[in-house]
Amino acid sequence: MSDPRIVFDNVSRFYGEVLGVNRVNLAIPPGITSLVGPNGSGKTTLMNLMTGLIHPTRGSVTILGIPTGRPEELFRKMGYCTQFDAFPKGLTGYQFIYSFLLVHGMVESEAVRLTEEALERVSMTAAAGRPVAAYSKGMRQRIKLAQAIAHRPTVLVLDEPLNGLDPMARNETIALFKQWGGEGRHVIVSSHILHEVDRISDQVILLSHGYVVAEGQIHDVRSEVKDQPMQILVRCDKPGVLAARLFEKDNVVEAKVNSDGRGLLVRTRDADNLYLMLNRIVLDSGLDVDAVAPADDDVNSVYQYLIGGEGGTT
Amino acid sequence: MAVFKHAYKGYEGALTPAWSRFLILPRYAFAEKRRSRFFSLFFLVSILAPLIFALLIYVQHSLSAMKLLQIGSSNLITVNAAFFMNLLGWQSMMTLFLAAFVGPGQISPDLANNALPLYLSRPFSRAEYVLGKMSVLLILMSIMTWIPGLLLFILQASLEGNGWFGQNLRIAGAIFLGSWIWILFLSLLSLALSAWVKWKPMAGGLLFGSFFVAAGFGGAINAILRTSWGNLINISHLIGTVWTSLFERPMHRGSGAFFFRVHGGDVPTWCCWMALVLICAGCLYLLSHKIRGAEVVR
Amino acid sequence: MTWSQITAMPWMLWRRQVAAILRLELKKSLFSKRAWWIYILTLGPVVITGLHSVFSSNMHHTLAEDNMIFAGIFQVYFLRLGIFFGCLGIFSNLFRAEVLERTLHYYFMSPVRREVLAVSKYLAGLIAAIVYFAGSVAVSFLFISAHWGPVFQQYLFHGPGLAQLGWYTFTAALACIGYGSVFLLTGIIIRNPLIPAAVVFVWENLNPFLPSLLKKISIIFYLKSLCPAADNFEGPAALLVTTTDPTPAWLAIPGLLVVSTLVLAYAAVRSRKLEVSYSE
Repeated sequence: MSDPRIVFDNVSRFYGEVLGVNRVNLAIPPGITSLVGPNGSGKTTLMNLMTGLIHPTRGSVTILGIPTGRPEELFRKMGYCTQFDAFPKGLTGYQFIYSFLLVHGMVESEAVRLTEEALERVSMTAAAGRPVAAYSKGMRQRIKLAQAIAHRPTVLVLDEPLNGLDPMARNETIALFKQWGGEGRHVIVSSHILHEVDRISDQVILLSHGYVVAEGQIHDVRSEVKDQPMQILVRCDKPGVLAARLFEKDNVVEAKVNSDGRGLLVRTRDADNLYLMLNRIVLDSGLDVDAVAPADDDVNSVYQYLIGGEGGTT
Repeated sequence: MAVFKHAYKGYEGALTPAWSRFLILPRYAFAEKRRSRFFSLFFLVSILAPLIFALLIYVQHSLSAMKLLQIGSSNLITVNAAFFMNLLGWQSMMTLFLAAFVGPGQISPDLANNALPLYLSRPFSRAEYVLGKMSVLLILMSIMTWIPGLLLFILQASLEGNGWFGQNLRIAGAIFLGSWIWILFLSLLSLALSAWVKWKPMAGGLLFGSFFVAAGFGGAINAILRTSWGNLINISHLIGTVWTSLFERPMHRGSGAFFFRVHGGDVPTWCCWMALVLICAGCLYLLSHKIRGAEVVR
Repeated sequence: MTWSQITAMPWMLWRRQVAAILRLELKKSLFSKRAWWIYILTLGPVVITGLHSVFSSNMHHTLAEDNMIFAGIFQVYFLRLGIFFGCLGIFSNLFRAEVLERTLHYYFMSPVRREVLAVSKYLAGLIAAIVYFAGSVAVSFLFISAHWGPVFQQYLFHGPGLAQLGWYTFTAALACIGYGSVFLLTGIIIRNPLIPAAVVFVWENLNPFLPSLLKKISIIFYLKSLCPAADNFEGPAALLVTTTDPTPAWLAIPGLLVVSTLVLAYAAVRSRKLEVSYSE
């Protein structure tokens, strides 16, 4: 049985003297994986390596056990929606998808059926007869996505797929990603929109200056960042009382009362212990607690802590 | 709409003169070209011919040099209109190569990378854009053609003396005008092809093609139709004819300059002028059609 | 490689893929408005020879002179200029233009072997080049002497005319095959194919002046050997048109085909190393 993962084995890629990515070791399981990082961090390089569009300077990449040097096998199972906003000249949206399905080697009837299905998926059926050059940016993005998914790949690599989409189209596309991720496919997405990454991702890979800074589920990554105390927001009726009681213990670093007077943002080095303490304090002090939730257990905070900025949310 | 802070102010400082703003384009183009070793080498090589011609003029007027080189008076080259026309021909062929390598890089990349809106969304007109791009070629080709030509003319005049300058002033005029006709023609053609095709090597290839293939095609027309009118699409013939008339040389088959020979005198000179003007007009039309801020696809 | 390994290869799949790529290439770039410059190169001689046919009554010449002129035009214009520059543009563009337009990755993201892709693109370019140039040669040959009416028909069907037409058209097709493979390779491995093209152009045109051993290292030498003999040329044209030491057809044709196939095979293998890198 073939390996169900996407594996990077000590991969480096240099553009002359400029580093693209260096010493990347990853084993990406099925599900939705987001690549996050600032501009120039190596996200697109990683995606291009994954799809065989560029070759690693060192190391090897395999997708479901298939080396990237065999595109004739690889792209039966993979679809890639690139960041390039360029299309072959003179083709309509329909022809764009249909022609490349024929290049896959499909018979015409099958290519027609899959083309119509893909157009339907991205709500581009009405505009399919127009030249791609006449499309708006959002329409071009959707037709690219349609071309990437038309052959029903098992692995989908999407470089900033939500660029240029209006809010409704974004929601529909995100729902599509979730559906595919739920079906056990690989969906690799790169995005700068961190709250959307939070919504859809099963795991994240954080990149900075060509290095993988962190990878895994957000919660696990956050708990590994030990030098940044966890932030927990407690909504209650007497935040001052709660703060006083919390400060009697050692592991609370900071407590800040919300401006509305009904919440307390606590920073602690030991979140598990804090939750235990909270239970006792609430019972002892008779506090009326509305909500308790981690305030920085998200991609944005992890990004700030590991890659840039002072950290913290809200 | 609510505005929170009225702190924004537009730029109120000094502005450069509007008439000279197009010179920004050649400034950056030259900075880029200076980084190319191939270009620097090519430029050095292009100075060789004027140096050799200058040496010939000097030797003509230096008895000691003639004695050293054991050249008798019967072996002297006559420094006349043909001499300067041949220099012009040689240097003009060098400028063809220059235009093929430099010209396409002016407009093709801007079109390929959608950079035109960046230029044209400023107070910068299409005419200024074309003028700026063209001035790169105008300046470089001037340095290779009429400037060394006139310097050599002055050298000859100063060494010859005896009113040679006044008697041959029309040669200086012919050098200047002939160079500028070729420079303007080649610049327009190069830029038009650069605007027409978005790929630099293709534009360079088209420029060579329009010179060599058109000459071959013109020869084919002449051979098949037993005429001379095919020469109207032979650029070297057109330029050779115009130069021959400017330098007041006899017009016959084989006259003209190096690489710019007249292929028979049946086509009137005014027709050659008209052909050049029409080609230039076509290039200007192409440029006005292609240099736009946005492309509309229906 | 054994016969069973060869037969086990997915030929039907490759056939479908080649057909799909051909369809895309021919529609996209080779028979479209963007190919205007090829139309000029190929229709030009057709128009001129057509005009010659129409206005020939004013000219005093013979059928033999027309044939001689066509021989010169074929060698000087078609082989050295038209087909050369035409193939340069068509075949260099097959990969490099896609890099410039940032569309090459669509092919690279399809499950098609790079070798199949390279061969398919070459075939697309070859079909277009042969249709354009061999077609232009054939039509021009017929037009240039069409005004002779029955005399030309006699010459064509009962004389050497048909054989000459066949050889000219075949030689034009061979030229497309040879130059096509060279320019496909330069388009794949060199960022600016104009430079090797300039070198090849100079080399091919210097061919008459080279020693006999060096003469053989060129495409034009073998193509000239295949052209119908043209002995009455004088002056510089004779140097370009006549061949003092022609290579026999049984050697020239397979030789050219073998060399072209080897160059194409190398280009196909090199295409596996191509990367999608769209920066200049």
